[in-house]
Amino acid sequence: MELTEDKDIKVVKELLQKLIKAKKTLRMYPQGNPIYVKTLEDLYTRFKSFFDYQDELTLKIGQNTIVYDSEQVYYNPGKEDNIALFLFKDGIREITFKKELLQEELEEFLKVIVVDFDREMDEMSEDDMVTLLWEKDFQNIQYVVDETFLMDEIDEDYERKAVTSVKGRGTDVESLQRAYADGLEGMVKDEKKVSIMPPAFEEIQMLGSEMEKDSSDKMEKLITILFEVFSHAEGEDDLEDSIMFLKDIVRFSLTHGDIHTVINALGKAKGILDDSFTTDEAKKYMKMLFIYIGTEEIINLLGAILDSSSGVDEDILKRFTDFLDKDAIAPLVKILGDLKTIRARKSIIETLITIGRKDMQKLAAQLNDSRWYVVRNIVFILRRIGDKRAVDYLLKTMSHRDIRVRKEVIRTLGEMNGQGALQSLSECLDDSNAEIRIASARAIGNIGTDAAKKILIEKVSQKQFKERDFNEKKEAYEILSRWKDADVLDYLAGILKKKSFFGMGRNYEDMACAAFCLGLVGNKEVLPLLYKFSDVNNKLLREVSQIAIKRLELGR
Amino acid sequence: MAVKEDRELISSAKDIINQLSIILRTANIHSPSNIAVTTAIEKYIALLNPLIKSERSILLELIGEFFYINGMRIRYSLDYLINFNFLVREFKKREIGSVIFKDFMNPVDLQTFLKAFIESGFSDTPYDTMSEGIDALSSIKIDRLKKIKEDEDVDTRKIVKKTYFTAVAYIQGLFSKIEAGERVNIKKSKRIVEAMVDRLLEEEQLLIGMTAIKDYDEYTYHHMVNVSILSIALGQRLGLNKKLLAVLGITALFHDIGKIRTPYEILNKPGDLTDDEWKIMKRHPVWGVRAILKLRGFDSTAIRSVIVSFEHHIHNDFSGYPRVSNYMDLDLYSKIVCIADQYDAMTSSRVYSRIPMPPDKAISIMMERSGIQLDPVLLKFFINMIGVFPIGTLVMLDTKELGLVFESNEVMGDRPKVVIVIDSNGNRLKGPVVSLAQKDETGRYLRSIVKTLDPNKYNINLAEYLL
Repeated sequence: MELTEDKDIKVVKELLQKLIKAKKTLRMYPQGNPIYVKTLEDLYTRFKSFFDYQDELTLKIGQNTIVYDSEQVYYNPGKEDNIALFLFKDGIREITFKKELLQEELEEFLKVIVVDFDREMDEMSEDDMVTLLWEKDFQNIQYVVDETFLMDEIDEDYERKAVTSVKGRGTDVESLQRAYADGLEGMVKDEKKVSIMPPAFEEIQMLGSEMEKDSSDKMEKLITILFEVFSHAEGEDDLEDSIMFLKDIVRFSLTHGDIHTVINALGKAKGILDDSFTTDEAKKYMKMLFIYIGTEEIINLLGAILDSSSGVDEDILKRFTDFLDKDAIAPLVKILGDLKTIRARKSIIETLITIGRKDMQKLAAQLNDSRWYVVRNIVFILRRIGDKRAVDYLLKTMSHRDIRVRKEVIRTLGEMNGQGALQSLSECLDDSNAEIRIASARAIGNIGTDAAKKILIEKVSQKQFKERDFNEKKEAYEILSRWKDADVLDYLAGILKKKSFFGMGRNYEDMACAAFCLGLVGNKEVLPLLYKFSDVNNKLLREVSQIAIKRLELGR
Repeated sequence: MAVKEDRELISSAKDIINQLSIILRTANIHSPSNIAVTTAIEKYIALLNPLIKSERSILLELIGEFFYINGMRIRYSLDYLINFNFLVREFKKREIGSVIFKDFMNPVDLQTFLKAFIESGFSDTPYDTMSEGIDALSSIKIDRLKKIKEDEDVDTRKIVKKTYFTAVAYIQGLFSKIEAGERVNIKKSKRIVEAMVDRLLEEEQLLIGMTAIKDYDEYTYHHMVNVSILSIALGQRLGLNKKLLAVLGITALFHDIGKIRTPYEILNKPGDLTDDEWKIMKRHPVWGVRAILKLRGFDSTAIRSVIVSFEHHIHNDFSGYPRVSNYMDLDLYSKIVCIADQYDAMTSSRVYSRIPMPPDKAISIMMERSGIQLDPVLLKFFINMIGVFPIGTLVMLDTKELGLVFESNEVMGDRPKVVIVIDSNGNRLKGPVVSLAQKDETGRYLRSIVKTLDPNKYNINLAEYLL
């Protein structure tokens, strides 16, 4: 049975539509996905059905059309999703699918035309569709390519000129006769000195393993070569070029998530810098590489790797960041606010803790960042570094618009205890925001000096302090109890004993706080005093006193 | 599933060729009744019969350098290289173009086939002997190797020439553009090399023949293309696939790109180079690295090109240049290009020593460098490829004719095709092209080489005869 001509055209049209659909589907779904598999199988079935009646399918490709057997089977005047134009622009003028077409081949063909669409933006890509098809070496898909573009910018007449010129020299007849005469002389068959020895099996095996080894990544080799080129440099131009290539490698590798290569390159670069035989000029250029890795461009790439699903092993990151200089601080802070994952932010913070030590001023200057969360991170980093020179910068940040930053600053000042910190913290105890006041109290507690104690006692003694929330008061008393000395003991005992007819509720709260903290101070001498309050009517005071007694009796 | 079946078929097809080669090699040593042979036969039958059952018949064809089974070209890896090459040689020797296995195979039929195959190897008319030997068999038939028709040959030569000169013109244009600081389209280099790979797979000898002409004005451009062709040809012998051959071809094409910075006067100096000039000349591998990276960035082919450009003069024992410290092994492609480069440079005029060598002399010298400058195994492959009498060798024949080797003979290395330039009466000719494998009715060879001469010594313009 044969297909009628019209039916034939209809089948090809449908097949082409299936092909276009498959092209889209394969772009959307990963290999092995049920939809991917079904689409491919459907298309292959269409081809097979066509080949039940025909030996091959030849499509002539125009800019906007595809023609089969003199009939137009596809037309698209637009540029979008125009499969004809897509094939045409890379020079393909005809495609033939043969009857023996394998499903595997069809899949590979689709993969090529999908890849090409993805690469449309990449003007510098070396591979065009023809190259990709060629590499597949299909047996049952043939194509005709218009190679005229190859002749652009090429001297088309080169062949004729070269052949004419080289042939034109001719052969001197006399010389030829001389050759003949020399040849005739002693016409005894001489054994060839060179004999052809085919390679032995072992040699082929050896070669096989070398070829296997040869397929490994060549980046390491390239780096070795670039350092050799650097060492062979003659003059500034050569040095400049070499450094430019090394920078390119760093950028290229990081763009592809390859931090190992960069570490390898930087290790070699460090070796050159440390080598006493390296000239000052060479060192000057090599240093540029280290400056480069701290630029925004490179740090952004590092950030992308850290944010990626694969991330970077801590040790590897450290090996990289060990090469970073203080100039990397600003770019690192910049990406700190842009990173998406907690893991990545944590990595950058750890890096900044290390690098920040190299230039406190540079790091502290980042406290002016407009993003509150970044400022808070920097305050944290400064605290982790623990350098008191940061206190001045922190004090300026005390008035930050965001309360979360202020709290972090207060905590940091408390832990760092630098000059001027206590005074500022003292002022914060009067802040209108309770969180700030509590944070300040904690910070003052952390400072732990007599002056700090004095400030805290003074604040707790003030009339307005009594008006504050119970939890805030409790926190302040608890902080005070850290001193565990006679001053504090007397002060707390005094509060507990204090009677008031006005504002009794508030007074009970103060007394309860004092009782609780006497338990915390841990001096058993106050037990008789506490027993007195263990059965008072006020429930809060009674319970807290009982807790304090228990604590003291059990020596906790 | 169809795909799985196809894959199994391809795998079986490979085994069919491999196992046939094994049987024939075994049968060359032992008699057909020897247990080693009979075991191999049984194994082969076990392989063949299921396929015959599903495919009805198995057609094994030799087209060019490749085997096809039922119309499907069979690709092979290095593991199969020896056996595949052996079978290609043996088929060509007997002028067998195809064997068809049909019906159900049995050991007796296969033993008859083997016997005929081995006996035909000693015959002067091997195909006919073979054909007669299996005449009674209905399950195995052979067909003669298809000869290329004369007019097709002419067209093929035209295509090969066009491929070659397009490549040279491209390199010339590339140099001009780089010198002018213009942007270069690298896609073209890929397409040009792809065309060379295609031509090489189809017409290896013709394309290699193009590299034998060394008298062009623009030595550097031709040298770069020649090295690319010779490298691809060697790579093909090693079983590299098309994609890898293309990469090898590109790296070879760009191997001397560093010479773009070498002053013209040095590059084309008619006499010997001074020490200082040599020093400059030796900078080209390093300059090549820079040129390629500026041109192409870091895609895998560019990286490979950088490596080859840098390493192609270092030599196997690291005695060459540039001198390197703490260096790793040389790249496989660098070793290949190094061999192709040395051969082409030695057989050309206007380079380094300025004294061009006849191809056979160059091969002799390269053999002396085996294991020192050149990788010994790759060199063996290269010499096998080029032949004992490379294209362009001036040969004196026992018929008192003087000729130039026109095409190598892969099966019989000492019997290439020769273009006669002086006949037995001492008259100058431009042809005919004769095959030294031709015999008279008594089985004696019509012509044999008795002597090789240096065509350069006599200023013989190879282009006049080979183009």
